[in-house]
Order: sequence, then structure tokens, then C-alpha cells
Amino acid sequence: MKNLKLPQLMGGAVLAGLMLQAGVTHAAADAEAIIKNKCLACHSEEQAEPAQFSRMSHQRKSPEGWLMSIARMQVMHGLKISDDERRTLVKHFSDTQGLAPEETAGARYAMERRLNTMETYESSAFEEMCARCHSGARVELQRRPAAEWENLVHFHLGQWPTLEYQALARDRDWMQLALNEMVPQLAADLPLKSASWDKWKSMKKVPMAGRWSFSAQMPGKGDARGVMTITGGKRDQYKVKLEGEFADGSALKGQGSAIVYTGYEWRANLKIDGVKMRQVFAASADGAELTGRMFETVHDEAGMDFTAVREGSAPKLLSVQPEFIRAGSTEVLTLVGTGLGNKLSLGKGLKVMEELYRDDNKVVVQVKASKDAAMGTRSVSAGKANGASLNVFDQIGSVKVVPSFAVARVGGNGGSTPKYNAHFQAEAWMNGADGKAGTDDDMRIGFVPASWHVEPFDAQAEADRDTHFTGKMDAKTGLFTTAAAGPNPERRMSTNNAGNLKVVADVKENGKTLSADGQLIVTVQRWNNPPLP
Amino acid sequence: MNKKNTLRRSMAAMLATVTLGAMALISSTVMAAQGPALKSGDEYMIVANYPNQMHVLDLKTDSIYKTCDMPDRFGPGALQVSPDKKTAYILNNGYEDIYGVDMDTCEVTFHARMAANKKERTKTIYAFALSYDGKELYAVQNPTLMERDHYRVQPTRLAVYSTDAGVNAKPIRTFPSPRLVTAMQVGKDGGLYMAGADIYKMDVKTGEYEVSVPSRNWKRERYVQPDVLNVWAVQTPTQDFTILYTTARFQKGSEDLNSADWLYGYFNINLETGETETKDFGPITEIYFTGTRSPKDSNIMYGVLNRLAKYDIEKQTLLKAAELDHSYYCITVSNDGSKLYLAGTHNHVAVFDADTLERLNTITLPGGDMSTTTAQVFIR
Ligand code: HEC
Ligand code: HEC
Repeated sequence: MKNLKLPQLMGGAVLAGLMLQAGVTHAAADAEAIIKNKCLACHSEEQAEPAQFSRMSHQRKSPEGWLMSIARMQVMHGLKISDDERRTLVKHFSDTQGLAPEETAGARYAMERRLNTMETYESSAFEEMCARCHSGARVELQRRPAAEWENLVHFHLGQWPTLEYQALARDRDWMQLALNEMVPQLAADLPLKSASWDKWKSMKKVPMAGRWSFSAQMPGKGDARGVMTITGGKRDQYKVKLEGEFADGSALKGQGSAIVYTGYEWRANLKIDGVKMRQVFAASADGAELTGRMFETVHDEAGMDFTAVREGSAPKLLSVQPEFIRAGSTEVLTLVGTGLGNKLSLGKGLKVMEELYRDDNKVVVQVKASKDAAMGTRSVSAGKANGASLNVFDQIGSVKVVPSFAVARVGGNGGSTPKYNAHFQAEAWMNGADGKAGTDDDMRIGFVPASWHVEPFDAQAEADRDTHFTGKMDAKTGLFTTAAAGPNPERRMSTNNAGNLKVVADVKENGKTLSADGQLIVTVQRWNNPPLP
Repeated sequence: MNKKNTLRRSMAAMLATVTLGAMALISSTVMAAQGPALKSGDEYMIVANYPNQMHVLDLKTDSIYKTCDMPDRFGPGALQVSPDKKTAYILNNGYEDIYGVDMDTCEVTFHARMAANKKERTKTIYAFALSYDGKELYAVQNPTLMERDHYRVQPTRLAVYSTDAGVNAKPIRTFPSPRLVTAMQVGKDGGLYMAGADIYKMDVKTGEYEVSVPSRNWKRERYVQPDVLNVWAVQTPTQDFTILYTTARFQKGSEDLNSADWLYGYFNINLETGETETKDFGPITEIYFTGTRSPKDSNIMYGVLNRLAKYDIEKQTLLKAAELDHSYYCITVSNDGSKLYLAGTHNHVAVFDADTLERLNTITLPGGDMSTTTAQVFIR
């Protein structure tokens, strides 16, 4: 049985709350001095010029990856360094032994803390061997030669001797497979040396200071836009100020500080409307765009997709908000980007009735969509600024719950672990030419308001009254707030408030109700919450 | 299961790892209250728990007879009783040391550190047993060389100790051992049965071993590879070494897991006779961590985790189940087969009537969680 686990055998270093923080960092020479002072108690200097040290000089990884490795030296091996020194080292290693932007593609969700991402891998061996306890992304965000992947396998099994006894390990010769099959595969797929890194390393990096026009989308709140002002830049440290608004007119405002690793990895800590938030963005190679996610520091499940374009760079349209319009209706649309030109091109059948507002980054217009406007996605431009699209539809054919599967965790109640809530959105789709919902030619419309509730996922959940105990769904926003942690005497066997729910969205369309559902597992706290899941 | 698991995976669902940090690193040189000696002919049970104690329970009164403090730190508290029922051997100190404790005096008379030298960190994952005459102790050791800036996992080995070697015992023989061994017991013929990927039988003089009961490599038509997790080597009144497995049996002519029968079964080795058995005893409806057969009726199997269950093995049916106040990991039975004792996790030993599954008693232990201790019942 796959659920049969050895109880309480795997100890993990407690890296809870560990985060990349802007703050004092020092130059490369200082980093080398710290290494010589602090690391050589256990590591060795392999070469003086250029300096090369055992283990640490033969790996490349993300800033979060470096943070975790060095924090492990502190927690597991008793390394003593100050937070300043650790920051300096993380910065140094990320800059000199980081990942090229394309080497992080496909795995950024882990840094962006999109913990409900469903990972799938072609190699079931990789999935079962290396993406069972932690994300596969943690692995994909590293580069090593075979000898270092081998060291990593020995570290795993040496640190957690019970690893090979666990489900999905005890059914095979784990150690032999890890050393003889996974190591060569990892060394081939994720090698230390790469052309992309060589190229990125030698490229001149663009400083981030400037004014940036941004567009964002947040579950429960909807679209947002505004201007982000970045100042400073000494030692890649910046101040950042955000001034924007949500589609409903409420403010999105705040400020904080940021640091850039590896020439493009933007990490900021801000306070937005009194709430601590983090930004994890990647800058494009030309330094004109920032893309990623901004999320609450404590509740990182609450966050928004975020893109920004630098004022003064080539004209660019980031989004049309909302991203859809119904044929035969008149709506207010907001175009967000920079260098937005006067001539708006919305395609045939869409007519600008009135321009309500305009500046370089934002144009608000009233648009009429004729009844016979062509259905589907169309590109939109404002002068030379393009890159965004608009979906024209006549009626909603079906709805999907996004995400279709989510995990939330109980928390709070005096414990050290906050609740991990779940946020859902209703995504509207229109039928394609076949007039049928759920077929390949369906076209995405966008996120629409819905009325939300939860139901028991199955008979077991019904018998255990999971809907009653696990938490509360906000009918309007699709935000599920989990119940308190700890045993609940009202439940069978005083179990905790875990459960299995069906999440239902009802969307009204032409007097009918379109329903969709997803699944929400509510489970116990994540005791160990490292920077990379 | 050897078929691909189709559970939906999401990163947020990743195994939440439990930290061992809670364990205080207290190294106490023990000067325990000694308590009374055990009485010949009386029936007792031993269990261990946090912070670091071993309790001897009197099964006539179902109460605590005495408590011995254990050296170093607790974990996992796996226990074996010597054949003369005088000494309890406990795997503790974070799986790194085995101690022999004289139950009459609470005195530590035997101590073996699993690591062969300072550079090693060596753990025994429950895998230790005593020879039939009690003169030797066997342990499968998982060593890792702790180099200064990297680790090297070493091959596992079987270490043989003489039980009269005292408190600084060193192996008298070592042999290469298969990996993944957990529970072990020794047969009357001296052979060491080791539950790993298969159940092996080792000649403890030569280190040669062979598969005694195939598990991962069983050849049972229409059955998938069984899943086995047994870390509780319970010494039974009938000298049976019993290990549960779960498996699936395809319908005739099918390879479809969805229509397969999901089954519980047991491997059994009678240590007295060497007879082995592989037998299904019922459909899987819930998980059991341990199972044991009734000494009164070998057709009755008991299992425990979230419920206590009783099966008719021949009919492969669940006869009865009792609800529990919380999970219990380890089931043992009194020598006459009349009472069942549930231990493990929390600090309650639950006592049940073996026939009616009526709850008779709860023995609350001073101290904390029993973790994965092995409960052992014996008559002095
Ligand atoms: C007290 C001893 C000790 C000190 C001090 C120490 N390390 Fe380590 N380091 C180890 C050991 C042991 C390992 C191998 C086990 C492991 O990976 O945790 C290791 C492994 C590593 C690895 C490889 C990790 C991997 O995932 O493969 C890196 C990188 C590293 N150390 C960096 C550092 C840096 C940088 C410092 C100084 C700031 C440092 N270490 C200080 C003991 C130490
Ligand atoms: C039994 C669970 C488990 C399995 C299986 C597992 N890991 Fe890990 N891995 C961990 C834990 C726990 C850590 C965190 C160590 C720490 O606290 O820094 C980790 C850390 C890592 C790291 C980060 C190390 C660093 O400091 O840079 C990498 C990379 C990694 N694992 C790769 C792998 C690979 C490759 C495999 C498959 C061969 C694998 N893991 C299998 C539990 C597991």
C-alpha cells in the first residue's frame, strides 16, 4: 500500500521561515574571505587562482537553492555565520554559479511558490526516485557533474537511512538505481557546464532602476495595474514602490526593498496595504520586462501573476483588462503597457465609442462589440504597442474550476504554522464550431465571477462531515479558509480537521446555471517549509 | 505495488517530513530506581517510551510493575527479550546503540554501539535478534562514512555480538548483509531469518544466506509484487515470526488493477519447526501495522492500526472489529491467547478481550509517546 509510511523516521532540517532578504551584502573578495574563514574547517581549497573549493565550486543553482545549501551547513553541520555573511555568500554563489534564464524555464513555479502546481514527468523513474519527497523542480533548478550528483545521493541516504525503506523505495533497489541510473541521467540532463550559462555569464547585465508599468491578476480580486518605481542599484540592491489599483478601484500600494541575483533574479520584500508581500520575478535578457509572482509572505498561497514593462523601452501592450468582451455588448476596457499609441486596433467588429482616460501606460476606453464580431482570440495593439489579446465570445458554453485540484492545510490555533488556504477561480469557455462543450475546439474566455460552495468529495467525506469541519468557502471570492489545526474532539477518533472536498462554482449565463467542480484536499500542516518546495 | 501509482500529485501534497528535532539530546548516565525483581512464572509485557524508559507491565493485574530508565536518548525503543526472560535488549539512541538491560535490577549489562569507528554513523533499522540460546545477538547495520565534506553510504553488514561481552561489546564476526532488512528472528536450528526485500535465512557462522520466503520476488500467478513493512519483530508464544503483506490479485485473464482483488496476507515462519507459510487472510479495507495469530486458534488473525480487527484466515473474512481512541502500531497477545495488548504511539497500552474484542483496560504509562517500540509478552 502506497500510504504505508514509516512513522516519524525522516528528520528534516527546519528551514521554516527562511527567506532571501535584501540587506547588506559584500563583494566577491569578501565572499572568498568568508569561505576561507568559515567553510574550510570542513571543505578544502582545491586551487588558489581562480579560487576553487571542494563541493561548493562544482554546483550551480538558484538563489533559493544556495540559501538552502548554506542554511543546511548551519542547521546540520554546525557552521556558524552571521546573516550578513550568509547573504553575501548567497549573492556571490548565485552570481558566479547561478542558472541562466533558460535553465530555469519550466521550473520557476517552485521559486514563485505556486505550491499547487501539478508536476508530471515523462520519466516515472525520476518522479518516483527524486520527486517524491520534494518537488522535481528543486532538482531541475540545479546543475552538477556526475560526481556531485553522486555526492547528493550519498548525502540523502546517509542523512536519512530510512529513505530506502519507505514506500516507493522499498519496492526496488533504491541505492543501486540512484547511483547507477539516476546519476548518469541527471548528469546528462542537468550538467554543470552549459552554453547558456557561459553566454549569460559573459553578458552585460541591465540595472533595474526606472519606472515600470505593471499588469497583474489575482484570484478573488481580479485584474490589477499600475506603476512600480525602482530606485537605487548599488550592489544590486533597490528600493521599490508600487502604486496601482485593482479593477474594482481599490488601491494596490506599498513599498519595500529588493535585490537582484544572477543579473535577472528579482526578489523583493514589500508591505502592501499593511500586508507583507514578496516578489519573485525574472527580468528578460534585455532588462525591459519583469515576470513572475507577487504573494503574501505568510500566506504565499495568496498571490498574483505579475508582469511589468520598463517605461522608455520599446512600446508594449501587457494586457487588456478584462480580457474578454461579449458580442453585442458595450464594455469599458483598460489597456495596460507602455508607450501606448493613439491608434487602437481592436480588430473587426469592435468599435471604440469613447476614450475615458489615457496616459503612456494606460488607456481606458468604452468599446462596443457588434453582434457579428468574429468569435475567438484577437491581437490588440495601441500604436506600436502590441503583445496582448482580447477574447470575443457570444455565450459561455462551459466553466472550469482553476486549479482543478488543490491542497490546503489546517493551521493556526496557537501552533507555529499558519493556515494554508486555497483560492479558486472560475474560468469561462465558449463552445467551438461543433457547438459542444468540453471538446478540443473550445475557446478560453477568461475568469468570471461565480458563486462558490463545497460538497463532500465522496461517501467517506460525507460520513466524516468534512464540509462541516475542514473550513469555510467564501461564496463570492472562491477563497477557502481552512479550519484550525490540532485534534478536534467533535470528530471521529478526535482526528484533525482534514478532509476531501468537491469545490463547486456556479456561473449564471442567460438565466441558466453552469456548474463546474474541482477537488480540494485539506490536510495537516507542512512542518518543514523550505524556500524551494 | 509494481504498477504505477496513479495518485494525483501536487507539490503541496508532498510528504511533510517530521522533524526529529523534538528529541532532546540528553545523555544521561542512568541511576534508575531498581524496583522489584520479576517473579518466576508470572506473565509480563515490556514497552519503551519517551523521554527514555522501559516499563515492565504485570499482566495479571494489567498494571505497571516497574519502570527502568534507559541510557542515552530514546528512539526507536525496539525490544527483544532473551530466551531466559531475564534481559531485555533495546535498540535506542537514535537507532545507533543496542543495550541489554537486566529486568530485575534495571542495570545495563550489555552495550554495543553500531558504529565500528568514529568516522562512521551507523544505524540499525529495527534489525536485531537474539540466538535461540541467547548467547549471541545479531544486528544488521547501515553504516555511512562521514567524511568532512561529503558522505559515503557503505554496504550493510551483519554484526554478531556475544551477549556476555559487557558494556563495550565489539562484533565477534561480521558478514555482508542484504540491504533493507528490518525485523529478524532466529530459528531453533540457529538460522537467522531476515525480513528484507525477501525473507532470507542466514547461516550466522558463515554469513551465507538464501531466500527462505520470497516476497518481492515471489512467483504467485496473477499476484502483483507485495508491499511489506514490518519493523515490529514480535516474539510470540507460539514461536511464530509473522509479517503482514498487502497485494493485489488480478482477475483471471486480466491485468487491470481496477478490477483486481486487494488482499491482506501474512508470511509466517515457525521458528521451532522452520515451516514457512504465505497466505492471504482477507480483503484490504484498512491498514494494519502489525498482525498476530491467536495461540489458541491458529486460524484467527488480529490486525491493528486505526481499528483492532479479527479475521478468520480460512474463510478470509473479517469477524469483528473494535473502534479505537487513536492509532496503535503494535499488537501482542497473552500466552493463553485470552487478551490482546495494543501499544505504540501515545502512552496508552490498550487491553482487549481476544474473543469479544471488548476493551478491558487501559494502562497509562508515565512519560510520553511509545513511538515504534516493540511490545513483548513473556512468562518469567
Ligand atoms: C562543520 C563542517 C562544515 C562546514 C563548516 C561547512 N560545510 Fe559544507 N558540507 C559539509 C558536509 C558534511 C557536507 C556533505 C553533506 C551535505 O551535503 O550536507 C557539505 C556539503 C556542502 C555542499 C554540497 C551540498 C550538496 O547539496 O551537494 C555545499 C555547496 C557546501 N557544503 C557549502 C558550504 C559552504 C559555502 C560553507 C561555508 C559557508 C560550508 N559548506 C561549511 C560540512 C561543512
Ligand atoms: C526521502 C525523501 C527524499 C527523496 C526520495 C529525495 N530527496 Fe532530495 N532532499 C530531501 C530532503 C529532506 C532535502 C533537504 C535537505 C535540506 O534540508 O537542505 C533534499 C534536498 C535535495 C536537494 C537540495 C540539496 C542542496 O543543498 O542543494 C536536491 C538537489 C535534491 N534533494 C535532489 C534529489 C534527487 C536528485 C533525488 C533522487 C535521486 C532526491 N532528491 C530524492 C528528501 C528527499
